[in-house]
Amino acid sequence: MNSSKQLRMTVYTSLFVAFIAIGAFIAIPVGPVPIVLQNMFVLLAAIILGPVWGLSCVAIYLLIGLAGLPVFAGGTSGIGKLFGPTGGYLLGYLPAVFVTAGISKGLGKKMSSDVIAMLIGSLIIYAAGVPWLKVVTSMTYEKALAVGMYPFLIGDALKIIAAAFIAKTLRPVIKL
Amino acid sequence: MQESIIDINAICHTFSDGYIGIKNISVSISKGEFIILAGKNGSGKTTLLRHLNGLLLPDSGIIFVNGQDVSKHLIQTRKTVGMVFQDADTQIVGDTVFDEVAFGLENLKVKRAKINEKVTLILENLNLLHLKDRSPSTLSGGEKRKLAIAGILVMDPEVIMFDEPFSNLDYPGTLQVLSTIIKLNRSGHTIIIATHDVETIICEATRIIIMEKGLIKEDGEPDRIVKYLESYGVKEPCSSKFGLGLQPWLT
Amino acid sequence: MAHVTPFTYRQGQSLLHLLDVRCKFFIICIVSMSLLSAHLPACFFYFLMLLFFFKKSGLNIFATLNSIKYFILLLFFVFIARALTVKGDIIFSFYGISITGQGLNEGFLVAFKFFLVMLTGLLFSTTTQPSSVKSAVQWFLKPIPFVPEKRVAVMISLSLSFMPVILKQAKEISDAQKARCADLQKNPVKKIIRLVLPLLKKTFLSADSLVLAMESRCYSDDRTDPEFLPSGKEIPFLIGSFIISLSLVWL
Ligand SMILES: Nc1ncnc2c1ncn2[C@@H]1O[C@H](COP(=O)(O)OP(=O)(O)O)[C@@H](O)[C@H]1O
Ligand SMILES: [Mg+2]
Repeated sequence: MNSSKQLRMTVYTSLFVAFIAIGAFIAIPVGPVPIVLQNMFVLLAAIILGPVWGLSCVAIYLLIGLAGLPVFAGGTSGIGKLFGPTGGYLLGYLPAVFVTAGISKGLGKKMSSDVIAMLIGSLIIYAAGVPWLKVVTSMTYEKALAVGMYPFLIGDALKIIAAAFIAKTLRPVIKL
Repeated sequence: MQESIIDINAICHTFSDGYIGIKNISVSISKGEFIILAGKNGSGKTTLLRHLNGLLLPDSGIIFVNGQDVSKHLIQTRKTVGMVFQDADTQIVGDTVFDEVAFGLENLKVKRAKINEKVTLILENLNLLHLKDRSPSTLSGGEKRKLAIAGILVMDPEVIMFDEPFSNLDYPGTLQVLSTIIKLNRSGHTIIIATHDVETIICEATRIIIMEKGLIKEDGEPDRIVKYLESYGVKEPCSSKFGLGLQPWLT
Repeated sequence: MAHVTPFTYRQGQSLLHLLDVRCKFFIICIVSMSLLSAHLPACFFYFLMLLFFFKKSGLNIFATLNSIKYFILLLFFVFIARALTVKGDIIFSFYGISITGQGLNEGFLVAFKFFLVMLTGLLFSTTTQPSSVKSAVQWFLKPIPFVPEKRVAVMISLSLSFMPVILKQAKEISDAQKARCADLQKNPVKKIIRLVLPLLKKTFLSADSLVLAMESRCYSDDRTDPEFLPSGKEIPFLIGSFIISLSLVWL
């Protein structure tokens, strides 16, 4: 990769770090549970940046949160949040972004493959987040699923559809 | 005739979509000149400026800065020819005013003690020192533009190019930036300003170049060129229109 | 969105403000870890100490608590969940749900510990400049192989400076859409796209000009290292935090 292309990816990746951080604050009012956009930006980072830059994007996001800059939901940060009740979702972003990017790349960056990739990515986030929530709060699995997954599924489906459209329009604009 | 610092020889540039941005331009720029590059939007001013510090390379033709071929001496060129971009918000890299100014020197691996000394000096000269720990995003428009200038000045350029330096500035902001630019020219820097609005600076300029559709249409002293401005879609300064000649905007 | 202040850092000259950021990092790590195995009295003792430092650094504890109210709510929820699920001596029960003494104890302890770790982190982030956090991250990443720590540091700066730009543009876009009655749009997918797509397009364009600005300032991964300014109180603080950690574990 020549240095100019690498610098461009560096800047784009930093931009997505900022979007993921801000995604925790941007909520779209739909029905009783507002749709928070953070996980959508994680999935978008995956299908736009690809596996390596996508992974470094999420890693840097977690790193600056861990290092004490208030980029986690609710303007919080630090070890307390990362290993707190909802920390599993945050850590789940790491495998999710990598797998999503890999599938989207492998299947040829079409809209349908993006949707499949993001569906799997979302499931990975829950696969990390829900058991974590269960352990920290010592709830039963049914309860953990009921508070930590089911209420968000409809919103997630909407976000995935939106993200697929967004990626389709954005790719030609940024010419990666 | 003064010693020339930039020599442009018959350059052409075609964008990847086939649009021809620059059509066979040849210009020579001397040390200490104050040049206005005028022309309406889309005439190719920004494209030309980007060639002068190697952000874009010509498809044909050659550019010399201090006698060196730009395409072969990118780093040296970028140190000699600094560029202040149009949108101050999108050129900020550092998270404090101080770090922002230090960025260029850090790239050149200058020693930390030297960086601290130079950055402090520049901030002092531009009257920004009291803001050094502030986050750049909290500055006013004029201060941001001055910060961008500081980030370039710290690398000791001989030529400073400004792309639309007065856009989106209020009156006090324009005054701040204008007097900064004039001071820079007096201290020996060569200045090139690309703008579609010449009124603010025309009195300071030693030369006006008018561009249209990627070509240079006029090139000469402000007194002579000013009458042609409107035929190329650039507003003629009021004072000149009313037959008062060129009046300084800064009183 | 307007009320979001992404940075909690408050300027100041207190002891904690001046302490070397690497030392603060290190202290947070060992104290947070020893908190995990601490008992209730030790936690209270540590809480009092935190309050003391909040006061000493000129911070308002109530404003701080207010800023993490959702996290506190979540902890309350953890407390309830524990109280309901841990087996032990039943204090009272109704409709088959029973609360146990052990559950209350354990729930409170777990929630309290998370709260303390959180508060410690807040004390850190309110007394530490984001740019020194970045420098410390770079310093700690240095020994790790295959991690380009200097580029990571630049990326942290970049993303911090993108955040206010994104928020500003998000506000502009949503205002512009409100003016055109986009509120009436009921389809949630369209709602998301109408906000996010222009936002991404705009900011990616800014990112493109940022790339140029960085190139013209000679960007390179091989850059000057950051500097740290120890206050001289690091050793006593380190010893103190070791003693605290040990007493947290043993008390
Ligand atoms: N990357 C690009 N690809 C294609 N066309 C471009 C590109 N950049 C600029 N142009 C076109 O080149 C022309 C000159 O642009 P520019 O130099 O920005 O004009 P000015 O700065 O005078 O307003 C415009 O018509 C613009 O659309
Ligand atoms: Mg332009």
